[in-house]
Amino acid sequence: MTSAAGSHASLPLTGADCFLRAFDHEIRRMNGASHVSQLVLRLGPGFDANGFRRVVEEAARAHPLLRAPVARRLGLGPPVFRLAAATRCPMPRVEIHEAEAPRAADPPLPEVFFSRLNQPLSLRRGELLRFDVVRYAGGAAGTDLAASWLHMLLDGAGSERFVRWLDECFRGQRRLADPLDPDLGAAERSPKPSFGERGRAARAWQDWHDAMGARPPHSLAGPLRRTPQALRYRVHSLSAEETARVVETARSRAGFLTPMLFYLAAAMRAHHAVFQARGIDPGSYVVPLPVNLRPKGEEGAIFRTHVSLIWFQAFPEQMNDFDGLVASLKAQRVAAIRARQIENGVHAMDFARFAPRRLYAHMARRALGGELCSFFFAFTDAFLPGLASFFGARIVDGFHVPPVPPSPGSCVALSLRDQRLNLTHVFQRGVLSERELAIFQERLRADLLG
Amino acid sequence: MAGATREELVQRVFEILRDDLLRAGPDFTPRSNLVAAGLDSLAVTQLMLATEESTGVWVDDSLLTPENLESAESLASLVHRQLQGS
Repeated sequence: MTSAAGSHASLPLTGADCFLRAFDHEIRRMNGASHVSQLVLRLGPGFDANGFRRVVEEAARAHPLLRAPVARRLGLGPPVFRLAAATRCPMPRVEIHEAEAPRAADPPLPEVFFSRLNQPLSLRRGELLRFDVVRYAGGAAGTDLAASWLHMLLDGAGSERFVRWLDECFRGQRRLADPLDPDLGAAERSPKPSFGERGRAARAWQDWHDAMGARPPHSLAGPLRRTPQALRYRVHSLSAEETARVVETARSRAGFLTPMLFYLAAAMRAHHAVFQARGIDPGSYVVPLPVNLRPKGEEGAIFRTHVSLIWFQAFPEQMNDFDGLVASLKAQRVAAIRARQIENGVHAMDFARFAPRRLYAHMARRALGGELCSFFFAFTDAFLPGLASFFGARIVDGFHVPPVPPSPGSCVALSLRDQRLNLTHVFQRGVLSERELAIFQERLRADLLG
Repeated sequence: MAGATREELVQRVFEILRDDLLRAGPDFTPRSNLVAAGLDSLAVTQLMLATEESTGVWVDDSLLTPENLESAESLASLVHRQLQGS
């Protein structure tokens, strides 16, 4: 990064960063929290907590982006990470929490991890990232670690690269001061289509999105809630045998390359089961799927958000035919790529650099009857593949916790670790009753396992 | 390229992958493993769209098996078979 950081006083947010910043602003304004994402590692004994704290501090000294305030230039221009102001900001916090040795073999996640999702981080003070480390019996019985960050500093793929890089620095395989993301800012400097072409592309993406409003979705939370953000999540891990079965089923029913559409269909049907139990018409299911824009064949950027979005829509009458639903999602995906909606999405989000935050959030919700979407969904495939240990401790498990505004209030994220599928269900407290959660999980599990 | 030979298709698929879709190094050849070179579902779909533009043949998802995605050569062979069958 900080070849760029060393030579530039500021770094622009990507269009996707600005898009997310609009929702961060909405969450701050209405729900008193931030748009925070989390990466969780469950570790065996031997975690070097002091070494971790030291590496994080040195990393933040070497790479000011990790604590750079975010602001618009003169309050008007596109928002930037103010790298030159980073040295006046506090270091990313590493909080060590001590806990007794857990009694169960698979202990519940620490409460502090949930609470971090519901606390505001200060953009002006460069609070972009923090770590919570929970040591059981002083670390002898294992450690849980959560990295919580504003979803502008990193995206899911970047967060995996970031923790891998920290561990490589700890093991001496890399030097902390070495430049990261050497092409940081290159996308902003590269030639772009004319303003008119970008405008037409953005319009095409917006029209595509708005057309889904002909049958608008209803989220489980309902539109635009002013309730304080109170997210929780549950992680369901399938056994290795179950996972092998699910992976094979996903590939055979959705295709070798697009198993995520099988998982998306299952997530839609799980939400549908809850709507049916409530006796409410969901309207339709509208779900955005993030598309990683990093160049294929190289590691790509660590920092900032590098995604576009493609949208999927399905209707209640499709929910009884799983294979038909998957076929519809596959057709929508190809049609979106054919219509260059991934590229159009980049241009649409680029306009968020200049639009006032409230206007952008308003535009996003306007077409869909006040909703952002039905729910959020992510499939990130293998989680930290090839990384067996972290700061001296074996990685027992790990997963992502994507951010979710109180509306739509529900997100399903899936990833694979050590031949086991982890399903993380993030939800706003009060959106699903215990009975509805049971219905949701039962449907999801039954669909995945066939 | 509707009447293209297999060799011509191999070259075309290889060029699209090398020049447009993958950031592959100089050691990338028509026999290189595509998944190892960074091929993902998006790149494959973009490749299939580019192939359709050149040949008029759309390769169905169900045919995109690990064996057919092994290399530019195997992928071009699949397109060639589809072309002959169409």
